[in-house]
Amino acid sequence: MLSPEKCIGCRTCEVVCSFGKIRAFNPKISRVSVFSFDEAAVSVPMMCMQCEEPLCMKVCPTSAITRTGDGVVAVDRDECIGCKLCISACPLGNITYSSVEGGIAKCDLCGGEPKCAEFCPSGAIEFKEPSPNVIAKKKAIASKFKELFGEVNE
Amino acid sequence: MKVKLFAYLRDYTGVKEIEVGHCRTVRQLLKELCGIFGKKFAREVFDGENLSGRVIVLVNGMNILHLENLDTELKEDDEISLFPVVAGGR
Amino acid sequence: MFGWTGTIIRVNLTDGSIKKESLNLRDAHLYLGGRGLGTKIIMDEIDPGINPLSPENKLIFMTGPLTGTMAACPGRYEVVAKAPLTGTIGAANSGGHFGPELKFAGYDGIIFEGRAEKPVYLWINDNSVELRPAERLWGKNTFETTDELLKETAEDARVACIGPAGEKMVLFATVMNDKHRAAGRSGMGAVMGSKNLKAVVVRGTRSVEVADPEVFYEVCTEARKKLKEHPVTGTGLPTYGTEILINVLNQVAALPTRNWRDGGYFEYAEEISGEALREKYLVRNKGCFGCSIGCGRVTRVPEGKYKGFGEGPEYEAGWALGANCGVRDLAAVCKANFICNELGLDPITMGCTIACTMEMYEKGIITKEEIGMETPFGSADAIVELTRMTGLREGFGDRLAEGSYRLASAYGHPELSMSVKKQEMPAYDARGVQGMGLEYATSNRGGCHVRGYMTSPEILGVPVKLDPLVTTDKAKWLKTFQDLTAVVDSAGICLFTTFAIGLPEISAMLKAAIGWDYSDEEVLKIGERIWNLERMFNIGAGFTKADDTLPPRLLNEPLKAGPGKGKVVELDVMLKEYYQLRGWDEDGLPTGDKLRELGIK
Repeated sequence: MLSPEKCIGCRTCEVVCSFGKIRAFNPKISRVSVFSFDEAAVSVPMMCMQCEEPLCMKVCPTSAITRTGDGVVAVDRDECIGCKLCISACPLGNITYSSVEGGIAKCDLCGGEPKCAEFCPSGAIEFKEPSPNVIAKKKAIASKFKELFGEVNE
Repeated sequence: MKVKLFAYLRDYTGVKEIEVGHCRTVRQLLKELCGIFGKKFAREVFDGENLSGRVIVLVNGMNILHLENLDTELKEDDEISLFPVVAGGR
Repeated sequence: MFGWTGTIIRVNLTDGSIKKESLNLRDAHLYLGGRGLGTKIIMDEIDPGINPLSPENKLIFMTGPLTGTMAACPGRYEVVAKAPLTGTIGAANSGGHFGPELKFAGYDGIIFEGRAEKPVYLWINDNSVELRPAERLWGKNTFETTDELLKETAEDARVACIGPAGEKMVLFATVMNDKHRAAGRSGMGAVMGSKNLKAVVVRGTRSVEVADPEVFYEVCTEARKKLKEHPVTGTGLPTYGTEILINVLNQVAALPTRNWRDGGYFEYAEEISGEALREKYLVRNKGCFGCSIGCGRVTRVPEGKYKGFGEGPEYEAGWALGANCGVRDLAAVCKANFICNELGLDPITMGCTIACTMEMYEKGIITKEEIGMETPFGSADAIVELTRMTGLREGFGDRLAEGSYRLASAYGHPELSMSVKKQEMPAYDARGVQGMGLEYATSNRGGCHVRGYMTSPEILGVPVKLDPLVTTDKAKWLKTFQDLTAVVDSAGICLFTTFAIGLPEISAMLKAAIGWDYSDEEVLKIGERIWNLERMFNIGAGFTKADDTLPPRLLNEPLKAGPGKGKVVELDVMLKEYYQLRGWDEDGLPTGDKLRELGIK
């Protein structure tokens, strides 16, 4: 769960996320990114929202992206051909390509123990088992991001 | 005697300052304040019977740790300040 | 390479050449990075006797081995040069995101030499490093400069730059990064301006690696947990920021008031306190890279003549522009602080120089006509307007731009400058906090509180409780604090971590990052080595025992009220003990034995 109003913009999530993936520190390969808007004094952590109807999954030509039983939208590295269509398809921009690892990079919830939530100092990122309630909130927040970024890009 | 309260202790007390009478020692005064402000305040101030590590108590600007701690004697015209342990400085 | 990236950029601004050099690993093991390694390079490459604003001075941006990792508060870097305000070694630490980005681009630091003929900026994008013209940015403030450079380079880059104050070589100009973070003291921005270097922009996509990832993860997690649980770093600083200290220091009567003239109690402290700031102008909290404390305050004065937006004021700025000028209007203090950030001025020296002017004005030493306005203590308009004029060196601001010592001396009253080695002392009246007196007198960059923060044990009781009014044990603790602080500033982590963690945690992080088997004592020795090297630079620059002193006001005028009533700083007794503990001779010179022991000679 994301609570942007609590975010202090420290990017601890980015640095611990990269460590979880590559055993080194590199925010650019992090599955979570914090966007800070100086004048508006807002910082927003952005990551895969594990959509209920993931467009990335629909567009994937090799069916490498699946939605697992516990609600994680997962990429099967063996099936992935690196075409990057999923990156274009994601309406939230939450999939990237990691040149360090040589493959698609998206949040996989760290097998149920996400580092970003564990280390977030302000409680802006929390991990709770998905419940209808949580998913509704996720959706609400995801659409807020859409609005926010829509405005910013105008 | 006048007691001044600072930082988030004010969240527990709702006031910045309070006048209290007839307390001979700091211990008595703090117990009195716990009676007025309730449990949350008491949890910040005491660890059992001892002063908690989370507060600083000053009597006329002197830290009671350099006086007689909780047994420091008080006079009616003393000014007591209560802070949470806070810091910084750049 | 682990911890470090192993590469340093050397830029010769005179001929425009750019070289990439291997990090000198021997020096890195002896001096770590940041402040220590920067000082080592300055010591090796410049003559301490030079004019700090000449092309012969060098300007160094240096990160540490923990910068950009998941260590406790790992967002720091240091700017090092000979300091124009003091003539001592100058080193100023800053947070934000710039330092880590430099590591991610693959560099431990940058050395700037010479002077560019026309304004330039350096653009580092991973492997590619180039100087670009900056003439059209000259004159722009730090916010405008940052915005324009991000548009011109990359949106996700990071900018460190100077404002008009640096360009005009105001002696206490800062280097500002990420808009609101300052390498603040001793005039590093003036050195940057003297080199015609407007900004450094960096973007990086590479990884910072550590020697033992599993152990590193474990010790960092443990250190972060301690920060979370400690009342200062877990609750006090996150909730109120540094401004919370205003009321604390006022209640112990150690908040210097009206140029230190009226003792340590400001009757309107509550109005400029951290509590008031939170209630009136706080927008939100903000943290530097990887920080779990988040002491930064984003603030907005929404309306009125002091309308503005930015960060701070921090405690020191709030005090210098507030209590020390007798000003009780928090909006004006915020505004003057915003202007400091926009123009690139150190708000401590700025506030103190105005305070010194106010005292001279009230004594009739300076007239209204000279200054161009009435300047009594308490004038909110004066702090705002004089700050602006100083940043632009406009009118009387041109005189203020030299700092309080040169200003007061020009009027025949150097005793009214509350400075040590020409740098203004910060917000702790040392008559009521004796150890801070020794700290100011011995600090290697003049009046300063972040070289051995004795306020922590003397006022806050962290990590030990020392009686602030006595001299006992102060020299011993100060030496340890100074050495540990030098390690912290060179490792790339924030000094505020030391409220909650100490040498064991810091050396555990360093050891796992670098792959050392150093003992804790050896790590602390690095700090002692840095301290002595800084001392040797200052001696080379002409400083002697006579400079390890305090303004006469602190040595001769007793405090009028509060627990420290009747006290002056008993410097002589502490200083003698301090020299002995340092292994220095009676004149404060490090002995040959000490220098050999530390591997300096």
